[in-house]
Amino acid sequence: MTSSSAPSKKVSLSLAHCYSLTLTCLFFSVQALSKIASNRLQKELKEWQVNPPVGFKQKPTDNLQRWIIEVVGAPGTVYANETYKLQVDFPEHYPMEAPQVIFLHPAPLHPHVYSNGHICLDILYDSWSPAMTVSSVCISILSMLSSSTVKQRPADNDRYVKNCKNGRSPKETRWWFHDDKV
Amino acid sequence: MKVKILQWHAVASWTWDAQDETCGICRMAFDGCCPDCKFPGDDCPLVWGACNHSFHLHCILKWVNSQNSQASQQQPQCPMCRREWQFKA
Repeated sequence: MTSSSAPSKKVSLSLAHCYSLTLTCLFFSVQALSKIASNRLQKELKEWQVNPPVGFKQKPTDNLQRWIIEVVGAPGTVYANETYKLQVDFPEHYPMEAPQVIFLHPAPLHPHVYSNGHICLDILYDSWSPAMTVSSVCISILSMLSSSTVKQRPADNDRYVKNCKNGRSPKETRWWFHDDKV
Repeated sequence: MKVKILQWHAVASWTWDAQDETCGICRMAFDGCCPDCKFPGDDCPLVWGACNHSFHLHCILKWVNSQNSQASQQQPQCPMCRREWQFKA
């Protein structure tokens, strides 16, 4: 199970969800958006304002490159009526590269969400496609939250979070995706 | 009755014959052009994949090249359906 193979669907919650590598590039470098990226983001923002995904609210800022989005837990799930904040940072070459999506403190207790807000979700990393949008990513995250029946951290939370000190981006983590139940 | 035509203007319109209206990558209209181009049409053509999904040529090339340059060397996939991307013959 490496990130270069197709996401494995073996279910085993006791296994670590990720392992981190020592990398030379530790920080999410902020480069100005390319013309294509800002063009597309403006379109997405316009579309969002007309037709926002249910359960989400984007907090208006003047920074196109960082969106702060509030998400309300879906009714009937363990997160019902709870509000969390997502921070979405767009790389220079969006949408050829995935945005960086993390939960701001406090992150929801979820088997795929680390206490530092990092989210173990394949579409944010290896399975990103440029046809995806902020809106579709948000819906996937809400769906991931909704399918959890227990509020708990990933088994390897402490180790992972310790490894991520100094503000390392989740995009620098090599993730294992092996649990499609939650 | 004989009619003598003194002058006439021909008007033609064109459109790409794609199933979608917009490119799934840049979200610009197919009948427009990708964000890097100025003129739609032959200067910024559409291409189809073996899976029948279409994109601006410039957009899909950027995606395919970015996939090929990754260390993981994964096969480029169609952004819409994830089938291995191949240009339609």
